[in-house]
Amino acid sequence: MDSRNESTAAQKQHTTLWSKADTAKQVWAVHGYKNTLYCIHDGTPIKGNNASQLEKEIGSEQLPANEHYFGLINFGNTCYCNSVLQALYFCRPFRERVLQFKQHQKNNKKETLLTCLADLFYSIATQKKKVGTMAPKKFITRLRKEYELFDNFMQQDAHEFLNYLLNRVSELLQADKQGNKPKNGSNEGQSKSEPTWVEDLFQGTFTNETRCLNCETVSSKDEDFLDLSVDVEQNTSITHCLRGFSSTETLCAEQKYYCEVCCSKQEAQKRMRVKKLPQILALHLKRFKYMEQMNRFTKLSYRVVFPLELRLFNTSDDACNPDRMYDLVAVVIHIGSSLNRGHYISIVKSDGFWLLFDDDIVDKIDSSAIEDFYGLPSDLQKNSETGYILFYQSRE
Amino acid sequence: MAAQSEGGGKDDIKTQFVTREGTYKLMQLSEYTKPTRVPYNGQSNTPVRASFIDVMDETASPERICFNVGRELYFYVYKGLKKAADLTKPVDKRLYKGTFPTCHDFNSIWVSPESVRLLVGFTAGQIQLIDPITKEPGKLFNEERLIDKSKVTCIKWLPGSTNQFIVSHVSGQMYVYNEELPCGPTPPHYQLFKQGDGYSVHTCKTKSTRNPLYRWVVGQGAINEFAFSPCSKYLAVVGQDGYLRVFNYDTMELVGSMRSYFGGILCVCWSPDSKFLVVGGEDDLVTVWSFLEKRVICRGQGHRSWVSVVAFDPYTSVIDDESLSSDKNFNNSENKDIMQDHMANGSESLRNSSDSSKSLPHSSQNITTYRFGSVGQDTLFCLWDLTEDVIRQPVGRTRTSILITSANTNAVQTIPRSNNIAQKANSVSGGEHLPDSNAHVLTNSIGNATGKFATLSLGERKEVQKEKEHKRNFSLASRNSDKNSILKSNHVKQVDESIKLLGTCSCPRLEDVPLLEPLVCKKISCERLTELKFKEECIITACQEGIVNTWARPGKAQGLSQHTVISPSASNGGMYCISCSFRSLVLTALSCGNRPFSDLLRKHKISKATSFGVVLHDDVTDKRRNSIET
Repeated sequence: MDSRNESTAAQKQHTTLWSKADTAKQVWAVHGYKNTLYCIHDGTPIKGNNASQLEKEIGSEQLPANEHYFGLINFGNTCYCNSVLQALYFCRPFRERVLQFKQHQKNNKKETLLTCLADLFYSIATQKKKVGTMAPKKFITRLRKEYELFDNFMQQDAHEFLNYLLNRVSELLQADKQGNKPKNGSNEGQSKSEPTWVEDLFQGTFTNETRCLNCETVSSKDEDFLDLSVDVEQNTSITHCLRGFSSTETLCAEQKYYCEVCCSKQEAQKRMRVKKLPQILALHLKRFKYMEQMNRFTKLSYRVVFPLELRLFNTSDDACNPDRMYDLVAVVIHIGSSLNRGHYISIVKSDGFWLLFDDDIVDKIDSSAIEDFYGLPSDLQKNSETGYILFYQSRE
Repeated sequence: MAAQSEGGGKDDIKTQFVTREGTYKLMQLSEYTKPTRVPYNGQSNTPVRASFIDVMDETASPERICFNVGRELYFYVYKGLKKAADLTKPVDKRLYKGTFPTCHDFNSIWVSPESVRLLVGFTAGQIQLIDPITKEPGKLFNEERLIDKSKVTCIKWLPGSTNQFIVSHVSGQMYVYNEELPCGPTPPHYQLFKQGDGYSVHTCKTKSTRNPLYRWVVGQGAINEFAFSPCSKYLAVVGQDGYLRVFNYDTMELVGSMRSYFGGILCVCWSPDSKFLVVGGEDDLVTVWSFLEKRVICRGQGHRSWVSVVAFDPYTSVIDDESLSSDKNFNNSENKDIMQDHMANGSESLRNSSDSSKSLPHSSQNITTYRFGSVGQDTLFCLWDLTEDVIRQPVGRTRTSILITSANTNAVQTIPRSNNIAQKANSVSGGEHLPDSNAHVLTNSIGNATGKFATLSLGERKEVQKEKEHKRNFSLASRNSDKNSILKSNHVKQVDESIKLLGTCSCPRLEDVPLLEPLVCKKISCERLTELKFKEECIITACQEGIVNTWARPGKAQGLSQHTVISPSASNGGMYCISCSFRSLVLTALSCGNRPFSDLLRKHKISKATSFGVVLHDDVTDKRRNSIET
């Protein structure tokens, strides 16, 4: 008796996940024709049911004491934003820093993207209810005001948004430190004196080593990154993609390298290896490839597996913490067939279980369901649900 | 690295490859697959596995093959290198609804041309025992999913048993069943039977004996695969928590463990002499662990994605003749016997009895080079040679020769552990019902050998630490204390302490052990590879799409007779290969001779309605289907 109930519940859970994804696809299929690409949000009572169902699934007493699972309402193609916000919210160190910022914020009158983000995180974290929905209206409005690229109802690239958000927040913090308020979209505070907490969390360094094939001199240059963008190949792992990122490249012909020792252009070998491993490693899979013939981006739905635990192989010899162990904490997933056509959702790990955030809908998923987001092993299909940005958090 | 780029091109699927023993060729006509090839949609995620059994009939093709594709299970006559059997005429074919087959295993003792016993595990947790030859109604276990609801990941008959088997699940549990016992109408209640570091064993708390006989809870997260040592005594279990754990199956003691570099371990295989284990997993690596020394001896890098199957090739190992003959005073006849066992059984489930005097992982054979293979989700097939210089490398050998001195320090730190564990294992086995005098001598001698080495390097130790190992020195100390505490507290360590394992012999740093490159690394399929088996005259691979391929060993493609010996070609020693058919024939005759088949069959004829949605369609006989559905 007991077992039957449980098994049907498990089945239902799985079907919800899929039917939801299917709906998303259907929405795009319908609206794709007219190029009016809206993530349809029907404010039906579903979300209420959903919230209570989630509570039931997890079991109210099993819900972690200080955790809140709030779906984010879509304001017309803002799923790129919602998915990234959820992923960042469940990168615990990031959330904690944002909430700290909120605490220490003294009557700051000026509204910035950071204050909006802090208000949003704060209001989720201080909800009485454990599950529900939230409208990130203020944040979206602010975002659209700040950056004209996002000031429309078009589908945007989640990675571009993540990049913008992290850089912007860092800028604002830097400006805060220096005591002068940033002007709208200003580039002040470029003289980076001290790293902000955004850099503390996300920034790593890679060493760009170039070896002149004529004089054998190796010159290396360090560069900082907030996330790593890696090329993807069919039926590979993220580990392999990272290795590809660091594979040796020969600069020749047109791309010859100007060697300071030889004082001339020479053939050279170049490779990039990670020197400082960040606390949160954000990996962006380059799944959108520009096709010149078609004059648009096409999606590479390749199956790229990503483990729950990760160490890097492509570290430089002088790396200070080369064998840092990472745990997967969040994944932003792209659903659909191309960059401008599709939907973003995210899966996050919280207190030992996995949750799926699809705008305002929150579902508990089994960790074995993650394999549904690796991609497609056959090249025939383009429409897929694939991991797009992976967030790995360092264990120590 | 050259090997890596070779497998590169997308459409460049290889149909042959060359090693030092010659050219291996794909036998295009020997392909087994679904009779009706439907366009592959990539939807099915259950790995395609193949099981083989020699039914020992008088024909030229005594072997049978069973493989699963999606929701179907096929059973054919396997013709080896010859043209495959007519695919439209399977001996048996089954179609399941609601639950898919994930793994299967033939009983290698209870077999005749008229009857075989095949265990099948399913995605929803159920287990079925069928006979694809007689097609008698099978038996179902965990049918109502009262015992475990999660997917079956691995199923195997207990070595030497005709009625007991082990099943592992995604839930992280393994169960021992006796097929003659019922599963009971209620969920089982368990009581603790044995407990150790990271595992516990439970028995059923009921008046009457029922299934499961035992429940093993091992590690955290799914158990991905398990394997009995060729000597039958040890059980290796690998799981999603990244651990390989080796148990003495009878005493239920944990005798050793290792940790992946990162991520889950997906597959495991024992060397033919039970001395080494190779595992593959989510770190894209193959890792070789020495059972005697309880340490990782090398890793192999070549795959571009997760490694799904690893297997030793028992027919392509190089054996040192001299050491074999010098072993004479060491109970030679028995050793040879064991060697034959191991060679014959290979990576498949073994068939020798669990006679404890035979079941020692000792060094009677002196294999100097081990060959093993691996296949992965990257569609690549790799072959690796585990050579003597790697095996004999001291702990902590680095690839750069400059660091040899520091390697010695590492050797020092790890020796106490292997010694202690070896002694511990001895005391354990001595205390329980297995008088392992041989093992005692052997493990001690190994300990001494390495011990000698340790004292030699002691003098250098301090300087080296000062010079080069500043950072490591600190962690070295902590590691040592860590190890001591581990030993004292009976191996109590937490899984989330796995970071602390880094730098120990359970999980050395990348630079601490040799990193092998594959001997052969070829893309041989357009789909993920899911099966790898080494046979006397061929290698078998299978992919997710449902194609089982046979690769002829060098010189075999011309269609030679079956039981020939591979001609020796290696520089010293040569390759050995022993035909197993006769031996297993005798064994089977012995084990089944005094018990008529018909009796056994009648005993198992318990037909039951299949409530978990298994509708056993059978194209071959409708009669059977009817009987099962009633």
